[in-house]
Amino acid sequence: MDGALLNTGEIGLYQYIARRLLLTIPVVLGVSIIVFSIIRFIPGDPARAIAGVNATPEFIEQVRVRYALDQPMYIQYGRFISGMVRGDLGNSIFSGRPVTREIGERFPRTLLLATISLMIATAIGVSAGIVSATKRNSIFDNASMFVALVGVAAPVFWMALMLQLLFSVRLGLLPATGSGTIRHLILPSITLGTASAALMARITRSSMLDVLRQDFITTARSKGLNERLVVYKHALKNALIPVVTVLGLQFGILLGGAVLTETVFAWPGVGRLLVDAILRRDYPVVQGTVMMLALLFVLINLTVDIIYAFLDPRIHYQSGSGG
Amino acid sequence: MKKRSIIGALGLAVLMLALAAFPLASRGQVETAVERDTLTIAIGAEPESLDPVKMTSAPAATVGEHVVERLIYMEEDGTLTPMLATSWEANEDSTVWTFEIRQGVTFHDGAPLNAEAVQMNLARFVNPQVGAAYAFLLGSVQDIQTVGEYTVQLTLRQPFAPILSHLSHSFIGIVSPNQIRGIAPEATFENPIGTGPYVMEQWRRGDSIRLSVNENYWGPTPQIPNLVFNFIPEESARIVALETGEADAIMAVPPQDVARLQADPNIDVVFQTSVRTIYVSFNNIREPFTDVRVRKALNYAIDKQAIVDSIFQGSGFVADAPIPDAVFGHTSVGPYPYDPDRARQLLAEAGFPDGFSMTLHHPTGRYPLDATVAQAVQAMLADVGVNARLETREWSSYLQFTAQPPDQAEYDMFMLGWGTVTLDADYGLYALLHTRQWNPNGNNRGFYSNERVDEILDAARIETNPSVRRPLYAEAVELIWNDAPWIFLYNAAQINAVRTHVEGLIHHPLENLSAWDASFR
Repeated sequence: MDGALLNTGEIGLYQYIARRLLLTIPVVLGVSIIVFSIIRFIPGDPARAIAGVNATPEFIEQVRVRYALDQPMYIQYGRFISGMVRGDLGNSIFSGRPVTREIGERFPRTLLLATISLMIATAIGVSAGIVSATKRNSIFDNASMFVALVGVAAPVFWMALMLQLLFSVRLGLLPATGSGTIRHLILPSITLGTASAALMARITRSSMLDVLRQDFITTARSKGLNERLVVYKHALKNALIPVVTVLGLQFGILLGGAVLTETVFAWPGVGRLLVDAILRRDYPVVQGTVMMLALLFVLINLTVDIIYAFLDPRIHYQSGSGG
Repeated sequence: MKKRSIIGALGLAVLMLALAAFPLASRGQVETAVERDTLTIAIGAEPESLDPVKMTSAPAATVGEHVVERLIYMEEDGTLTPMLATSWEANEDSTVWTFEIRQGVTFHDGAPLNAEAVQMNLARFVNPQVGAAYAFLLGSVQDIQTVGEYTVQLTLRQPFAPILSHLSHSFIGIVSPNQIRGIAPEATFENPIGTGPYVMEQWRRGDSIRLSVNENYWGPTPQIPNLVFNFIPEESARIVALETGEADAIMAVPPQDVARLQADPNIDVVFQTSVRTIYVSFNNIREPFTDVRVRKALNYAIDKQAIVDSIFQGSGFVADAPIPDAVFGHTSVGPYPYDPDRARQLLAEAGFPDGFSMTLHHPTGRYPLDATVAQAVQAMLADVGVNARLETREWSSYLQFTAQPPDQAEYDMFMLGWGTVTLDADYGLYALLHTRQWNPNGNNRGFYSNERVDEILDAARIETNPSVRRPLYAEAVELIWNDAPWIFLYNAAQINAVRTHVEGLIHHPLENLSAWDASFR
């Protein structure tokens, strides 16, 4: 993230965007090298993992040749990159299906889960943050900040099981596992969104408090403006800038970090796909999924920076460094 | 104003909660009360594929066998019964097998089942270009010919007694010839078109597979119209799904949760033997395990019953042979009684009055509670003076580590399991204990070797008369038992759980759960 950079050779917004887009290329290449090598440094023979414990040595050898696992690393990497450029991420070793299809089927579900979680997190987090800031040191403030602390600290796994026990087993209100209807979304998105909501509440609160202390607020108040107008129009708009940054980052984290939630709720998203693929040494799927998530993260960051610019006209772009 | 902001925030929170608690009954409740036309089974893993040549796992077999059938079916007790083949016979020296194919059967796409369809499927299964993981099951087959519209002939390279059990394996399924014609040899298909009691409806990746009943089934039509297999890898979530009624049956219940489910009056817990035996193999060519007294001593040192009782809550069976009792060729020769004094005495005779130290390698999370079992073994060995250092590895590197050739094998002892999925002793003994199967040629990872055992295993492979084979295996089992190449531990049990309103599910020792005879009470 680059924040407000001051003066020296300002450039236009569009140029800035173009520059940032170009910069994603080395970032993505770097990620590809890291992903490609890390999974190959994990000990264990993928051919053997794929073939299974009962496999004959001939079959293990066959698997090795079929998936080019007998080739030197740089050749495997070359194939991976040239395929990626053509939009071909190879076939899953486990299922034999194209990786793009595996991801394509699962990604919308993760996107849905992350979006709903983020909406819940924002709605709860920002409103709790505002109220806490305006009613500083009140019971509401203390209580909500305490809850926020617990929310940040509670392990996702525990949270998920508790919600399942309460809402599914005890009360019988919501389905505990699966996907398909809106009601299947509720428990997973609350689970996934809790930590973000808590973080958002704390950041909104402190950012609001900062802004409310500033001179222009005092000026606004001294002009006799309605307090609601002061808080929601003047203060909130400025206080939201750091919140937007966090929001963007949280979205990326939620997309990539839904693994535990997806596992406990049997939600068929990319997180589970990724974990299963790692355990099976399904190299093409691991590479493809991580690359896609990395690319998304980069794009989200870029988007946040642009939104930033619209929100705060004081931010300028430096022509020298770029990112 | 301040009040309004608080009210606004609280209102929003309440709205979210109201949304969360929106008063609709849960999916499970609706379905059990209203639509009793769908049976939902939660399984622990998604099938890798339902194309027979791509299948490698029990979950794939469980789903697949509702859609795709094979020539011969193996009953729960190991009896082979006609499925798509109505009868079979061998020539005099058992090298040519002739199968009569069932007439009047059609695939789900309307194509007729005939000899040609069977021939195409079997030829595809053994085609090296296709690369089926389990092609070795038909490794003895040299040629597959149609000799009539409903007659298929298999020619073997040499007599191979277990050929019928091998043909009954759920991975050797017969799919519609249209499906095979439609793809390149190395390609696979996703939704199989078989002849089975259920038809493939929808595969939601990562979520579930939905099947519907085959109205034109050649056998008795199943009573339940729809079948859904949900994939729920997380154990606790699978249990919650059963408790809430989202699932009517679940597979692979963890032993520690058995009591909780048994306490629920709406749930039956089902224990079934499996064909998987768990053992700790010695490196039989490494000191001090070259001495049979040491190997026996360590067998006496382990309280197998305590492992089954306390770690597995009584589910599981102490091994009394190197193969489970559901397998043809099993003879009960054990167990080695738990006798630490005898263990110490044998160790002293072998020159280790004060015991010795070594490393015990074990997997984690591959078999139920495997690491816990390894710890129990370690503690019991310590009791007789043998100091075992535990070492674990992630599964795929574990497999590689224990697959090294004799001069590079760096292990003393390792824990492993083996499922005799053909229910024939050949599959369980030959691959693990024949000298020709030493690493890297096969799965004899502990380098056990006994000439007489090799002779018997070779002979029993060729001999097709069961009444001759049985005593042959009895002798081999006894020899192996007395050589003690492993610490024989236990045969794993499968634990499934079913809601009491369902009856007629078949819990098969091959870790399949079959629903074609099931109904709602």
